[in-house]
Amino acid sequence: MGSFLSLPILMLAAAIQVTVMPQISIFGGRPDIVLLIVSAWSLNTSLEQGVLWAFVGGICKDLLSAAPIGTSIVGMVLIIFAIHAIRQQLFSVGFFTLVWVSVLGTIIQQFTILIILLSTGFQPQYVDQLGYGVVLDQIRLFIVPSIVYNLIGIMPVYWFVRAIQRALGTDLRLTR
Amino acid sequence: MRNWRSNRGLFLGICLLVCLALITASQLGLLSPVTGILSIPLNFITGIFNRTTLETVDAIEMPSDVPTLQRRVADLEEALARYQSELVELREVANDYQRLSELVNYTSQTQDQEYVAADVISNSDSNAPLQTISLNRGTRDGIEIGMPVITQLGLVGRISDVTANASRVLLITDVSSAISARLQTTRDEGSIVGQATNDLLMEFIPLNASVQEGDIVISSGLGGNLPAGLVIGQVTNVQQREFELFQNATIRSLNNFATLETVLVITSFQPVDLSVFQSTPVAAGSGS
Repeated sequence: MGSFLSLPILMLAAAIQVTVMPQISIFGGRPDIVLLIVSAWSLNTSLEQGVLWAFVGGICKDLLSAAPIGTSIVGMVLIIFAIHAIRQQLFSVGFFTLVWVSVLGTIIQQFTILIILLSTGFQPQYVDQLGYGVVLDQIRLFIVPSIVYNLIGIMPVYWFVRAIQRALGTDLRLTR
Repeated sequence: MRNWRSNRGLFLGICLLVCLALITASQLGLLSPVTGILSIPLNFITGIFNRTTLETVDAIEMPSDVPTLQRRVADLEEALARYQSELVELREVANDYQRLSELVNYTSQTQDQEYVAADVISNSDSNAPLQTISLNRGTRDGIEIGMPVITQLGLVGRISDVTANASRVLLITDVSSAISARLQTTRDEGSIVGQATNDLLMEFIPLNASVQEGDIVISSGLGGNLPAGLVIGQVTNVQQREFELFQNATIRSLNNFATLETVLVITSFQPVDLSVFQSTPVAAGSGS
């Protein structure tokens, strides 16, 4: 059921990402709702279902952007695998888990997108506009603001995802 | 445990390969038909969200913009007031320039005379018994009693009183003013006197003189009070009665005496006192 639910939820999230989020953007940053939902969902579900959500979410995001299809999937897949690698060491998902998931997830996602865009010939308009170099520009303009917004956004998103998982009975901790 | 880890790595590798394949296919345009179909529901949802978001943002931002708009309106009103003030000043400068350039044009046409330009510092009060104006030039500037005062439009009057730095001009419209004049076209002579109505009346025009409305009247120079040839005005009405020895004409000066701002005083002209000639026969008679 959780797999089927990914499509409407992530389609809505992608639509909100490109319509509502730009309106509340401050200092160039905004929360990546799709990334947060996929990360939050995968915290309490199987790896396979997490990867499925990553693919669905990434395709929805890329369909609404100029980037090639698959650009957003790579970062999210890496995050899902990282979450599941570390989750084995965790007794429960707490505040600090959400913090590192959002911080690490944002960094991985932004850098993979940048690398893919540059390697596929896309020249992002922000590249080296401050004279700091591509990587520093990416950190200065996108990663730092996005980390802040994702840190703020991960709490309500996780609460929302957990509520759905409990309602559907797909919570991994409840089912295993 | 090792089997699980290797499977996970394999799974990750497969996922990344699929991603790479998707990116490559997308780059090559192979996914265009699929993405076109997949985009339809997504674009539909996005359109709904976009409209709703924009309407909501407008509804939220509109009231919060009121203070900003009020500040903007206040700023614009302040700027408008400042520019209006500057506009008034610039119009004054333009008017001064226009007046002075006309005066300069006039003086260039009459090179044989010397002038002192003066600003009118007080205008004639129409209810006052004497029709006068005051100028900001006096004896320090070479102004003397009796000097003619003119503009580019014609005669204004004569200096009737003078101090060190100011002078008073008796306007030609004053009832006590009398000027020897002549019609420019027929050369018929007469005397122009001021009227209580601020008009000018040309008297003592010979009955046989042909006076037409629109004729230009100039000073004749007779009497020695004014130089000849100064424009006084235009004939606007002629009164010719059979039982009178002369005909009269109403003259309209081209100057608007109520709005004079700058005038020229002819300093090179010295009035001639003819009264000595009038007293000579009496003195001779008494002497003989």
